[in-house]
Amino acid sequence: MAVIEIQNLTYTYPATSHPALREVSLTVEAGEFVAIIGPNGAGKSTLCYTLAGFIPHFFKGELQGEVRVAGQDIRRVRLEDWVLKVGLVFQNPFNQISGAKFTVYEEIAFGLENIGVPREEMKRRVEEVMALTGIEDLADRSPYALSGGQQQRVALASILVMQPEVLVLDEPTSQLDPIGTREVFQVIRRLAHQGVTIIMAEHKVEWIAEYADRVIALAEGRVIGTGTPADVLTDPRLPDYGIGISRYTAVARRAAGEGLWPAERRLPVTLDEAEAGFRAVEEAHAHLH
Amino acid sequence: MVERLSFYLERSSPLHRLNPTTKLVVAFTLILVAFLGPGLLLPSLIFLLILTPLSFVGQVGREFLRTTVRLLLPLFAFLFVMQSLFYPGGKTVLFGFWIFSVKLEGVRFAFLTATRVLVMVSSFLLLLFTTHPGVLLLDLTQRGLPASVAYILASTLQIIPQMQAKAATILDAQRSRGLDTSGSLGRRIRALLPLVGPLVFGSLVDVEERAIAIEARGFRSSRPKTSLVEIEDRPLERALRWLCLLAIILALGSRLWP
Amino acid sequence: MRISIEDVHFVYPGGVEALRGVSLSIEPGERVAIVGQNGAGKTTLVKHLNGLLRPTRGRVRIGDWDTAQVEVHRLAQRVGYVFQNPDGQLFCRTVAEEVAFGPRNLGYTPEEISQRVAEALALAELEDKAEANPYDLSPSWRKMVALASVIAMDTPIVIFDEPTTGQDVRTIRRIERMIEMLSQRGKTILTITHDIDFCAENFERVVVMGQGRVLLDGPKEMVLGMEAILAQTYVEPPQLTRLGMRLGFEKTVCTSEQFLETLRRRLDHPQSDPRAEG
Repeated sequence: MAVIEIQNLTYTYPATSHPALREVSLTVEAGEFVAIIGPNGAGKSTLCYTLAGFIPHFFKGELQGEVRVAGQDIRRVRLEDWVLKVGLVFQNPFNQISGAKFTVYEEIAFGLENIGVPREEMKRRVEEVMALTGIEDLADRSPYALSGGQQQRVALASILVMQPEVLVLDEPTSQLDPIGTREVFQVIRRLAHQGVTIIMAEHKVEWIAEYADRVIALAEGRVIGTGTPADVLTDPRLPDYGIGISRYTAVARRAAGEGLWPAERRLPVTLDEAEAGFRAVEEAHAHLH
Repeated sequence: MVERLSFYLERSSPLHRLNPTTKLVVAFTLILVAFLGPGLLLPSLIFLLILTPLSFVGQVGREFLRTTVRLLLPLFAFLFVMQSLFYPGGKTVLFGFWIFSVKLEGVRFAFLTATRVLVMVSSFLLLLFTTHPGVLLLDLTQRGLPASVAYILASTLQIIPQMQAKAATILDAQRSRGLDTSGSLGRRIRALLPLVGPLVFGSLVDVEERAIAIEARGFRSSRPKTSLVEIEDRPLERALRWLCLLAIILALGSRLWP
Repeated sequence: MRISIEDVHFVYPGGVEALRGVSLSIEPGERVAIVGQNGAGKTTLVKHLNGLLRPTRGRVRIGDWDTAQVEVHRLAQRVGYVFQNPDGQLFCRTVAEEVAFGPRNLGYTPEEISQRVAEALALAELEDKAEANPYDLSPSWRKMVALASVIAMDTPIVIFDEPTTGQDVRTIRRIERMIEMLSQRGKTILTITHDIDFCAENFERVVVMGQGRVLLDGPKEMVLGMEAILAQTYVEPPQLTRLGMRLGFEKTVCTSEQFLETLRRRLDHPQSDPRAEG
């Protein structure tokens, strides 16, 4: 069942002349993990804000086309109801801390207080998401006194606790170091296994290759490719659009140019695939000798 | 990063367990009585016989006394020197030296002012030492303080140390570009724009993102809010607060009909 | 200009010991990347190079200057430092003015200033944006403005703090071209980075820090292969280095050129396959 349906979405921010998204159409099935790639300025954040309802309800501007989540038209709902359906986590972990609360535990409960969840249920849900995101040991710390990776997991937990049907993440690891990135991706993988629908804008191709079910490539506001990570991430046009590819893909493409990659084999996107391909090349050569 | 956001000291004492509003009311009552009440010694008695013992009940006695002294000692020294020497209309000269004479009226006035300030500052210190700011705000919200006002107060408390850190980074970045922040007043004023500009712009971006972040967590939901923390309020405390009101009225009365 | 760091210790007010005896010497024109987990002391160390921090013990010299004796705004003649977040420094109404701020502080003549600004704008590929307001530009271009504003100071030493964080490939390529050009002009280039692939492809020497000490220091082909020591400070070898290890390459490879060269050699001499040997 499609949980997200977008048809011919064109959106222009207020006081700008060029649309940030142009004729975007896509559907996402419930429980899918979809990664959105594209250079800065391609419209990734705009798409995330649209799915999360902040376009057109927070940023005004001009929206054409249709955006439906779980069958509801985005223009017909109030933002305060929409945010319960679609959760949003964005880049800067620091700016997602509410500032209203003094401990991580209270910070996570903040959203539930706002929507009037009874205290006992609140505690149960807060403790559940803390376990899920691996931050139980931070419960009594000040949310401001954490590392970026820890703060981003708190931000994630604070949204998950609202139990949204769809989770939208806008480059959640771009400000994090490798440890923080790993921590966040591990949590997201766990969520994906639990069947949460995930839409994630991300530059880090090597992680997408391992985790995502499907990849959508954006450039200049348009969808220029969609498919499995293996298909989209090896698309030879990506570098021309300013989209990064993994070193494994890049080196195998150069090797293929010299006949050093098995002709019938697709270019690799992960370390394992690259290893298997180059081993095959070496074995083939060993037979020749 | 800054772990300590307030004066609050975590203890498990009867004072910590009191309802925050009760503590707030008691603090205000002591201050009002100290300022309105009769007698030269009343404020100092409040400090010695009420606030100091209470601070030990709250298990924060040492920090309480240390901080009070550190905050107020310079002020008191100044007050005593100025008032005892220059109090207008003093007649009773205690002793004199060179062109100065120390007058009894001045000393009395300085003492009264100093001990009143002492009660004011130390009451609030005791409140802050034993009350978590979040709990205080929550209690006030439940008594009708608008959630948005409580949010602004809480986030301001937390944002100040962060703003300081940000300002320090900007200062470092601009000094690294050769900006000289020392020297003449003119030079310092010229150095202000490169420091304040990025701070203001950065804050504008932050404010928008933070607005999105709290909106994403249902802050503007029209449903009735609930709260994680249950704040106790006992009938005894309610009675105590009425007593406080009575004390204030008595102090006021003593002022109006001496 | 030579950088010499001699047994530097640094304790932050509050007692955190961030550097515990660091010694490094960096020759003019070197390209050095400093890597290591957060809290390893990387930023603390480079802040010593332009006097933002002064050693608690030990000495830092930039050429013949002891940084403990020279003010930060004077050290700016010798060491340029690009901070991670461009928004923490941009304040002028046009890109050109922003870029001129540094050289003006250093007291160059108007002709020198305009020449340096023009060069820096060219290096940062910003020529067509000179009259734009920095805050009308995208975050990626604001990053380039911040880079240009430090490059324009024409210092013999340039430090880049996490230049690739949050940037897309095009911007990273621009930064790489800029580093290459600066290097050709004989500048010493230092970076702090978590982006280990960027480090492997653009720097010759790698310093690995952990818990306030230098764990490894040497040519990248030596350092980036030492997986066990890198793991102590939560650094993973670059993608191609890991692939080379998986395939049993006897030499550590860092770039695709090195990878392909090793691969070709192995294909010509298949006996070097470890499984064939073992």
